[in-house]
Amino acid sequence: MTQTKSLEFKEAVLPNGLTVIAEANPEARSVALGYFCKTGSRDEPPEMAGVSHFLEHMLFKGSERRGALEVNLEFDRMGAQYNAFTSEENTVYYGAVLPEFALDLLELWTDLMRPALRPEDFETEKKVILEEIALYEDRPQAMLLDWGRARYFRGHPLGNSVLGTRSSIGGLSREQMAAYHAQRYVPSNLVLALAGRVDWERVLDRVGVLTAAWPRGEALRSYPEPSLATGELREAYPKATQAYIAVFAPGVSAQDPRRYAAQVLALILGEEGNSRLHWALTDKGLVESVGAGMDEADRAGLFYVYVQTALENEERVRDTLRFELERLEREGVRAEELERAKNKLATSLAFAGETPMQRLMSVGLGYTYNRTYEPLQEVARKIAALTLEEVNALLEEKPFSRSFFYTLAPA
Amino acid sequence: MGMALTKVEVLPNGLTLAVEERPWSPTVAMRLLLPVGVVTDPEGMEGAAGLLEGWLWKGAGGRDARALADAFDGLGVQRASASGLEHTAFAAQFLAEKLRPVLALYADVLMRPHLPEEALEPVRQAALQQWAAMEDQPSKKMFVALRRAVFRSPHGRNPDGERAGLERATARALREDFARRYAPRGAVLAMVGGVRFEEAKEAVEEALGDWRGEGVAHPPVELSPPHALHIEQNTAQVQIGLAYPDVTLTHPEFYTARLAVQVLSGGSSSRLFTEVREKRGLVYSVSATPNGVKGYSYLRVYAGTTPERADETLRVLQEEIARLSEGVTEGELQRTKVGLRAALVMQDESSRHRAASMARDLFMLGRVRPLDEIEARIAEVDLPRVNRYLAEHPYRNPWVATLGPRRLVLQ
Repeated sequence: MTQTKSLEFKEAVLPNGLTVIAEANPEARSVALGYFCKTGSRDEPPEMAGVSHFLEHMLFKGSERRGALEVNLEFDRMGAQYNAFTSEENTVYYGAVLPEFALDLLELWTDLMRPALRPEDFETEKKVILEEIALYEDRPQAMLLDWGRARYFRGHPLGNSVLGTRSSIGGLSREQMAAYHAQRYVPSNLVLALAGRVDWERVLDRVGVLTAAWPRGEALRSYPEPSLATGELREAYPKATQAYIAVFAPGVSAQDPRRYAAQVLALILGEEGNSRLHWALTDKGLVESVGAGMDEADRAGLFYVYVQTALENEERVRDTLRFELERLEREGVRAEELERAKNKLATSLAFAGETPMQRLMSVGLGYTYNRTYEPLQEVARKIAALTLEEVNALLEEKPFSRSFFYTLAPA
Repeated sequence: MGMALTKVEVLPNGLTLAVEERPWSPTVAMRLLLPVGVVTDPEGMEGAAGLLEGWLWKGAGGRDARALADAFDGLGVQRASASGLEHTAFAAQFLAEKLRPVLALYADVLMRPHLPEEALEPVRQAALQQWAAMEDQPSKKMFVALRRAVFRSPHGRNPDGERAGLERATARALREDFARRYAPRGAVLAMVGGVRFEEAKEAVEEALGDWRGEGVAHPPVELSPPHALHIEQNTAQVQIGLAYPDVTLTHPEFYTARLAVQVLSGGSSSRLFTEVREKRGLVYSVSATPNGVKGYSYLRVYAGTTPERADETLRVLQEEIARLSEGVTEGELQRTKVGLRAALVMQDESSRHRAASMARDLFMLGRVRPLDEIEARIAEVDLPRVNRYLAEHPYRNPWVATLGPRRLVLQ
């Protein structure tokens, strides 16, 4: 990566507690920037389920200084490519523009972090959220992981649904949302991240002025000990015509140095095209699709597998999954499997630096969890250095012996 | 912008090679587009292209399926392949130094696949499951019905094939089909990255120079008269799709039409998003996107909403599309121009995106449009030109498909 030679990492904490970071690349043709708020469904009380995601929508409805239509016009006048997402743990607002619009985008995002939450906008947007809930109701493949996580975490906040339910959203008041915002969107719980063609000094000056009056505070997160489900659960999804199977097992957290080994293990288990589950299921024609991953969360983590299959294959697929997970734990990973996974990751890392938007996500989320910056070369070095012992050490803890199988099927 | 020039050459066997040199890059993004899709599937064997694409990976050259996958992984290739309506596409990303061995593997797959009898049944089972899974994907199911309504020619076929066609295809018939359709003539190979054109050409000729075949021409496009159809299904949301006749890439007013459609549905200040979602909260998703096949284009309009609001949603959609013929404002035109220009620059930052658009240009136009040509053509469209165009070419007489619990009221 010739281009990465000129990369420079910058970091500052403003007097109000807001952290600003940047991976500046003077050779990039665009700049990406956004706010990473450490809040999500895991931080919601049950009666407010879905408030983080609903609030994310409401930020686009504007501040005291600009209304919703004005916000949309401004993004489009800059030609911004932008969006936001909410997960169990993070709410992320991100955008990319040509360099001449960087400060305009910064000003706009910063203003939106202090939303007006106008009652009429609140009621209109509530309808949009209810439409989004209805949209996913028609997609069993989406509900599989949503419901499956809830059953797996058994009341632990990491099982909370991001969307919420018709009744939790229906019953939510503007005042509850405003209180949640005041608590969670304090400067110390936000990171402003930038990547690409960044003018660091000007950005820092500008954001200091723009956020000087933000009220300070501290947003806490609770970390109860999870009591995870094991065994099997099968639930009816009357609208579905196929069977949807998920497996959950304990993984490692975003703070855990073993996370690279765990990611490699998930690839060896379930990557499309060449993995344990590919040969056991896809190659045999038993499934429509299968995938696996490792979700690194804040002080927790989980391996997951998801499968879509015809009803007549359901039993056989679950048996095969059990067999393969048991075999993986018993036999461990082979040296050549590790080498292949490392080769593929090396290629994907070589491409990962191409666009400022990709870098923004990786730098911003990485920092949110670990308060450190990891250059791509450093990640590449760690992957290249992984040993078979490190990967197999994860299996010696027998995570898949503690698996939870969750199935959705028509009846 | 537009510094890198694409070099294109048709090799003696009919394969078109296109390379955009990025000498600073350590990687290559490659895309091979074969004009093998469901449009040219033999009558009664709808889905054959998909079966072939799956079957190809079951062994080639001196390697069985596993050895083949291991060889790709050994080179660190990130690969994907899929067949669709008009093409089968093979995408690969790898380190530039691996170009020759990577091409040698693709040459085995394209010229020397084993197509073993015993592996066909699993491939068929996976394809049948993919076909059946459409029942759990209401928007996909609606769009398949909409396209079938638009085209009388095979362009209206389901890209996943048909159950009868998938069940009927024998190993022998598929092998004959492979020999007939998998050919260099009409195929396009695009590369972007750290490789010089001459170097790429030499490597391609070495690997694929002996590949022979004339391939199969795509059938002419035939349309059905515009009409409406409804699929009754008990879904939470009604799926609404409309297809309006539009101009193709070769039309002198193509960019004028593109800008007009951006005003309708480009950014979040666009008319559909503003009127349908922002002001009325009728939907989560609404869009109008240029779509089509080689030789025919249409504007594809989509909205998903709950049944009690579906009539109003459809009415607002149709009103906004009709209103477009009255013209756009200078402000709207300026925003779409900025947006398109920014999108061009940012897409170009990704070599994978660039390779895909080069391959698509070559298939649709027979040449690659340089980015500065696109930029210049967009810049020369002014307000009188857009408004004259819209007055003379109003979007009207759509094909309409709806899916949901009940039929809607059409204007």
